[in-house]
Amino acid sequence: MSTLRYIDAIRTALDIELRRDPSVVALGEDVTYGGPFGATKGLADTYGTRIKDTPISEATVMGLTVGAALSGLRPVMEVMYIDFITLAMDQLVNHGAKLRYMTDGLLQVPMVIRAQGGARGSMGAHHSQSLEAWFAHVPGLTVVAPSTPADAQGLLQSAIRSDDPVLYLEHRGLYWQKGEVPDGDDAALVPIGRAIVRRAGSDVTIASWSHMMGAALAAADQLAADGIEAEVIDLRSLLPLDLDALLGSVGRTGRLVIAHEAVTQGGLGAEIAAQVQERAWAELAAPIARVGAPFVPPPFAPELERAFVPDVDAIVAAARRVLDTPSRAARPSPQSVEA
Amino acid sequence: MTSVPDPLGMLERMWLIRAFEERVSELYARNQIAGLLHLGIGQEGVAVGLAWGLEPRDRLFGGHRAHAHALARGADPARLLMEIAGRATGYCGGKGGTMHIAAPETGFVTATGVVAGNIPLALGSAYASTVSGDGALGVVAFGDGAGQTGSFHESLNIAALWGLPLLFVCENNGYAEFSPLSAHTKVERLARHAETYGIPAVTVDGNDAAAVLAAVRDGVDRARAGGGPTFIEALTYRLRGHYEGDPGKYRELSELADWKQKDPIARFVADQGLEAESPAAEARARAIVDAATDAALAAPHASVDQLRTQVTAEAVA
Amino acid sequence: MLPDLPGEELVAQLRTMLRIRRFEEALIRLAADHDIGHFHVYVGQEATGVPALALLGDGDVAYTTHRNHGHLIARGVSPAGMVAEILGKATGINRGKGGTLHLASAAHGFPTTSSSVGGPLPIAVGSAFAFQELGLDRVSVALFGDGALEEGAWHESINIAAMRKAPIIFLCENNSLEALGQKANEYPSSTLAAVRLTDLVDPFGVPAVPIDGTDTRAVHEAMAEAVQRARTGGGPSFIEARTVRWPGNRPLWPQLLTGETDVTFAWDPSGIPAEHERWWSQQDGLLRFLRELLDAGHVTREQAIAIDTEARDEMAAAVTFALESPYPEAEEAFEHVFA
Repeated sequence: MSTLRYIDAIRTALDIELRRDPSVVALGEDVTYGGPFGATKGLADTYGTRIKDTPISEATVMGLTVGAALSGLRPVMEVMYIDFITLAMDQLVNHGAKLRYMTDGLLQVPMVIRAQGGARGSMGAHHSQSLEAWFAHVPGLTVVAPSTPADAQGLLQSAIRSDDPVLYLEHRGLYWQKGEVPDGDDAALVPIGRAIVRRAGSDVTIASWSHMMGAALAAADQLAADGIEAEVIDLRSLLPLDLDALLGSVGRTGRLVIAHEAVTQGGLGAEIAAQVQERAWAELAAPIARVGAPFVPPPFAPELERAFVPDVDAIVAAARRVLDTPSRAARPSPQSVEA
Repeated sequence: MTSVPDPLGMLERMWLIRAFEERVSELYARNQIAGLLHLGIGQEGVAVGLAWGLEPRDRLFGGHRAHAHALARGADPARLLMEIAGRATGYCGGKGGTMHIAAPETGFVTATGVVAGNIPLALGSAYASTVSGDGALGVVAFGDGAGQTGSFHESLNIAALWGLPLLFVCENNGYAEFSPLSAHTKVERLARHAETYGIPAVTVDGNDAAAVLAAVRDGVDRARAGGGPTFIEALTYRLRGHYEGDPGKYRELSELADWKQKDPIARFVADQGLEAESPAAEARARAIVDAATDAALAAPHASVDQLRTQVTAEAVA
Repeated sequence: MLPDLPGEELVAQLRTMLRIRRFEEALIRLAADHDIGHFHVYVGQEATGVPALALLGDGDVAYTTHRNHGHLIARGVSPAGMVAEILGKATGINRGKGGTLHLASAAHGFPTTSSSVGGPLPIAVGSAFAFQELGLDRVSVALFGDGALEEGAWHESINIAAMRKAPIIFLCENNSLEALGQKANEYPSSTLAAVRLTDLVDPFGVPAVPIDGTDTRAVHEAMAEAVQRARTGGGPSFIEARTVRWPGNRPLWPQLLTGETDVTFAWDPSGIPAEHERWWSQQDGLLRFLRELLDAGHVTREQAIAIDTEARDEMAAAVTFALESPYPEAEEAFEHVFA
């Protein structure tokens, strides 16, 4: 085990995969310098031209990444801020995501897009969004969002080894958090599509991912002080979702709160809630609650930004709300309401 | 006249493309093919001149008007027609269709329905070969309408910066969709853009397959010698509408008649002195297309069982 | 050389330049103790922006970038409101929602400010298009850095502007001279293949001139010609104003590496620190302008010092105002998303 910061774990994953596989390359704006946060710092010293700086041409560099993946490489492209991926959506969505299907498997696109986001540090509306729901709506993509250094390394390694285009979403609020990461080329690997229970509990399930996991765990601590045991699930993989893990937990608790930093409206929480209620209606003792950002662009002022990002209290309140819902047996039937 | 090493092979392939596209047009008119079809009739000279200058390992990316390029590279006409007709035995199992054909084993990687969408893909392919050392050139064929996109400009810049082994082949047929190039840009020769990035650029008569081949060979030689990208602007004309069913009211009939006089196949026959061989070459091509048609129409339609397959590798495994 | 303008107008431009310089210096000091996010300063480019924007009239619009502070002050936006915005205060010109990257003031002809590289270019063409359609005698100015030329949006924008003969001025502030990894005025760089930036414009038939961005006469004349061309139906113009990157802009966050500006350097080089001798004596456009004004007798040393003192006092008061201003109420985060 080594203690690594989240950002070091990202660099370690790149380092291992670049060393293991000569077809892996990393490209993006200023990646030889290390990018604004240092995720790729020093890699060019070891891997030379396989670490490639690109012009500020997101649309074309995304297509270049797809083309390189079609032609024998496993490229890892860095989009400096997830907000700028808007410039590259055609190549990502119309080409990268669809080529396997459109050619019935004649072609494959083994590439990773690393992008960091989240509202942190007052960077304003062009540098702060959480856009995972857009990509989880696109057939052909894989979307992961690690919350710990171990997952940051393990999921990035798995993403690079995957034969599909993977959106690997980082949160800059996590970059400096430390955690234990297994040593070795393969020891840290985390399978894509598997959630993990971070805390066991029987009263309510809180499902979250990325930076919001910290708030979810803190909310569980706060609830525990009142004797409420929350089970906290880190989804990690957003497409495909680990529905089995969610359904298993909801089967135990009967109550579900989904917490994410993205705006609630049209967010991934809506899709997860729909899938869970379609399959586990009988087990649900209360309506599923969602916690997310208000439906506004990320504001700049520190006060407004704090109000924008959902916090521990919001998750606690949502958990209490679903716990306060009377169980079904105690609820009047629809007919008696009408009468 | 420019001499070419395999004139009869080139002529036969041009006839094959012509016959294939005419057949596609007929099948569409008879409702035996669905979709939004863009045919390359009149542009065979560019496709064949280009293909004859490449090696099998080179990777060509086409645009929405790409049947000709796939056939020029050696795609099986039957499997191609099956794909265009949505059959399970088509190259892409009927999932791609006319704008998303692929025959990667021939060096025709894929096509795109997005104008200029293929340019960054070929750029990435050329970049990949500089890393892997596989010696494959990236090649992209696109129309003049792509010249006004940001991706075109960004790709020229990166190809020049990185000295990539890439051929940009602009088939300037004078019309982007339904309007003349002059309605899209003030720039008459798109090769000018390449020059601004220091990319060697040449404008050739695209209806002269031998001239196209010569330009391609120059570019290929440069790229293989590590000299970076080349831009070829081939001036040509589509003798059909933008898509099948396009009434084409934006063009003068006299203009169409003029260009029919410059038909690339007739031009090639005359230039290469193939008058005696041409009828038999055409007949062979039409026979291949007849057989391909029979095979395609007899082939099973794409199966709904396949609707959910090949979305991701994970699902496949 | 000085523009052919009355002395009082030139002195007014000196005042504006000094106000910008003192604003940016005050901001760099302020950023040492306050988190204002990633910010960019206009130091060293005042001699471009001030004479250029002085030629615009009411109703003309300008679209600027992440490096926008100088442009706004040049067109009369209140520095106090700007500092307040940068600190995220309720008294900020955008009520704390924009921050340094998105400072805008429609009343002063800055409808919106994008911090996406190349982002303002299509919007600026859109304004020019509207002016044409509405039959208005107005000009749209796109202010951008050399990095924007790597974006496809640039190519699409100038193509459409040229086609339509739109009343737009592309003012490219190439501040990359002697930037990291580059020698003076040397393109191609690691990210742009063109040998001369104006080469990229030539195919479109748009008049394009490279000028020294520290030469106020050159700026004034090129801009006056471009404004005249736009107002009289002559279509777009492209101006490349070249400046040497201020050493304080080289770190990720601006720093006062050169020390603060001392106007006496204009006549007394003995005080110039040896380490930054070239910057203060040759490359700083503001001091060059001041030297030329002194030589021409438009201003005396004493007057220059007095103008500078006023500018410093104004900026000190602006900072105090901003620091004492309240933060916006958290509820404001939810306002102004829709009409």
